[in-house]
Amino acid sequence: MLNLLWILLGGYAIGILLPLCLPRRPKAQIITTTAPAIVTTSAGVVVGLLGLTSSEPATGSLASTIPLLTFAIRLDPLAAFFVLTISLVGLAASIYAIGYIRHFDGRASVPTLGSLFNGFLLSMTLVVLADNGFFFLMVWELMSLLSYFLVVTEHEKAEVRYAGLFYLIMTHVGTAFIVLAFLIFFQAGGSFAFEAFRHPAQTLPEGMKTIAFLMALIGFGTKAGIVPLHVWLPHAHPVAPSHISALMSGVMIKTAIYALIRVYFDFLGGQFPWWWGFVVLVIGAVSALLGVMYALMEHDLKSLLAYHSVENIGIILLGIGAGMMFQTYELKEFAALGLLAGLYHTINHAMFKALLFLGAGSLLYATHTRNMEEYGGLLRRMPWTGACFLIGAVSIAALPPTNGFVSEWLVFQSLFLSFHIPDTFLKLMLPLAAAMLALTGALALACFAKAFGISFLALPRSTHARHAGEVPIPMRIGMALLATVCVALGLGPMVVVPLLDRVVAPFTGVSIEGQVLALDGWALATVNVEFSSLSPPILAMLLTVLSMLGLGIVAAFGGLVRRRYYKTWGCGINLTPRMEYTATGFVQPIKRVFSSIYQPTVKLETEFLQESQYFAKRRRFEFHVEPIFQKYLYDPVLAFVTALAGRLRVIQAGSLHLYLAYIFVTLIVLLLFAV
Amino acid sequence: MPLMTPPIGSQLVDLGSALLLLTCFAIVAQRRLSACVDLFALQSVFLALTATLVAFLTGIHHIYIAATLTIVIKAIVIPRILKKVIERLNVSRELVMHINVPASLLICGVLVMIAFLITQPIIPFGHLLTRDSLAIALAIVLIGFFTMIARQKAVTQMIAFLVMENGLFLGATAATYGMPLIVELGVFFDVLVAALIAGIYTNRLQDTFDSVDTAHLSELKE
Repeated sequence: MLNLLWILLGGYAIGILLPLCLPRRPKAQIITTTAPAIVTTSAGVVVGLLGLTSSEPATGSLASTIPLLTFAIRLDPLAAFFVLTISLVGLAASIYAIGYIRHFDGRASVPTLGSLFNGFLLSMTLVVLADNGFFFLMVWELMSLLSYFLVVTEHEKAEVRYAGLFYLIMTHVGTAFIVLAFLIFFQAGGSFAFEAFRHPAQTLPEGMKTIAFLMALIGFGTKAGIVPLHVWLPHAHPVAPSHISALMSGVMIKTAIYALIRVYFDFLGGQFPWWWGFVVLVIGAVSALLGVMYALMEHDLKSLLAYHSVENIGIILLGIGAGMMFQTYELKEFAALGLLAGLYHTINHAMFKALLFLGAGSLLYATHTRNMEEYGGLLRRMPWTGACFLIGAVSIAALPPTNGFVSEWLVFQSLFLSFHIPDTFLKLMLPLAAAMLALTGALALACFAKAFGISFLALPRSTHARHAGEVPIPMRIGMALLATVCVALGLGPMVVVPLLDRVVAPFTGVSIEGQVLALDGWALATVNVEFSSLSPPILAMLLTVLSMLGLGIVAAFGGLVRRRYYKTWGCGINLTPRMEYTATGFVQPIKRVFSSIYQPTVKLETEFLQESQYFAKRRRFEFHVEPIFQKYLYDPVLAFVTALAGRLRVIQAGSLHLYLAYIFVTLIVLLLFAV
Repeated sequence: MPLMTPPIGSQLVDLGSALLLLTCFAIVAQRRLSACVDLFALQSVFLALTATLVAFLTGIHHIYIAATLTIVIKAIVIPRILKKVIERLNVSRELVMHINVPASLLICGVLVMIAFLITQPIIPFGHLLTRDSLAIALAIVLIGFFTMIARQKAVTQMIAFLVMENGLFLGATAATYGMPLIVELGVFFDVLVAALIAGIYTNRLQDTFDSVDTAHLSELKE
């Protein structure tokens, strides 16, 4: 097992170095950048599966000359689960890259991009494997920096540089909080080894524990993209190359979820006051709802997907938060269920979000634009991409029989089980969270009806869309792989749940595999079959049978109706793409209903013909959603920092002698202090 | 083997240190640039003499090497570089001062008192015959630093930097009979490189502002 782990790390190392050493021939470059990644991620899938099934965690370590730092790695079921997720998405992304990377020929250095790509995969794998706080922070920082460099691949555009800078600042602020949290553990245990974090953390005073909880929540929350720390996602994710967006949105933000579970359930031993879980739950609910609401207003396909990441992180946190609350009240089975639901949604979201980002990348590849208003009619031109994107959309909208449905169902159930909590306030609040989740699901469905419908159906809205063609085969394979995994995860929860149970059991102390699987493993039940249960395979069969039945009825009786092919009636005018439903138009009703949240600015200018007021010559329609967080949270902070910096500039006179005098006075004062 | 009785040897070392300090005051009081360079060379000679004395008294041989290097680098090579810079750049002979001479001398007096005050608790613990020089060494470092602040020309600042270095060398000798030879060699090399870099920097300053007055650097602020 350990050998396999070293192979894994070595494989990525080859992938980092090889592209930089070989001659600059396009074909060779593409092979050297993708082949090591494909092989290594495949090995990573195996490592993940072995780690999930093995009984003992594998550990390994290398000593270093730096005090407190050991390069220690440990593969326990939780780490193995995330290695599996990272590797699966990484595999699809690297296959996809074979075709997609050509898109960057001449615009960016292909070897550099490939080298960074491998390094990014390596750093994420090490983040979940690290077993030493110092080492963790190192690879965490490495992951942040590499992803920054990947984000700014097209650095000649001002928009990209802005997004990159924004991301860099946000992620470093987050890291600062993480460092503080780790220092608290270090102070208690006297060592940076995670082993030391685990045990003495339980002897931490209550106040320090609370501070560690909050620091970790803010620090990792920044990376995960919880509201209100989510603002970097819709900037940074869209401008990165699409297979990188898939990795960032699919798995990088999940490493924060990993770290939160590690800190809360592992280091803090799963003993929390009730309000910790409640805080996580509230943040989850708010992130889920606001994420999807802002996603609805986006017409940039990749920004839309980035906002959906905020939403799905919210859903994951709903599961984890519910688990934490049940843990407080010693309801171990339910705690395990909540955590399991959160983790299930984690892998599901990784798969369908990566799939959707790859799909968006294919659209970008074919049409050279991210603006949905310029798509249209692409299903006929790109059937493969369309089919894969549809599966992803169905999954993210949580429709059966795909994976999103199963995990959201589990999250719902764990929220409904709140009536077991002996606290009236929480009994009221959890169903409220469930209601918010329900609203989120409905809005997500609307959003993907828009995303798919506007992009793929009807007539092309621009010349780009009209001339679009299907993408190269490797890109299709990458997408198809993820689509298959999405469906498989949806149909086979009976295989997935026992594996997840192994991840969760060490933290909650109970195995709920037997209780969750009902009907000989054909259905899922929430701890008690009477309460509720679900069988995805049977559901899928039913769906198939019913649709067959419907089609059969049409085939049998539809023949009676006389068929006539004619173009759609347009009130006597020929139909043009300009008459189609636009993305803006599609979300108009939702915008009206939630106008208090969006605070939209609508501007309509009409220029009339001189002859008559009844004929408009030109109309201009503008519409903006108020960026509330930017305006009321970030801008004031930014203004404050700038003002403070302005004050500090007084002492920065630019005079060499003055600077020397500062040093001199400090020296004298310190020396006098020392006496 | 000690050839003189410790009290006399110790007093001689103190005398050498005091001469170093005196040249410091002379540098601060000096208004002409080339005289400053000469005074620095003189100070380096005093330093070398003191170091030789310490080597002689203690029988530690590598201090001889350090003393020789001090003569070669600090009393001959660096003053020559400085003179050349002054010549090439036509630096006016008068020094430009932020703080005039009487005030500077008063401040330097205060700095010497501070240095003695700070080192007072430490010195009784020492058992070396050079221990009293520690206070003087610190005073020289502080005066060097002060000169950097009080004088405007880049060349003066270089001299001040070198004075500080002399103070540090004296301090090392006073506290531990000098640093290991390899460290000393490294330090000498560093000082030489620093002098060269400062020479180049002064040249650039002259080219950019037609003056070596570092006050012009504040114009670089946006």
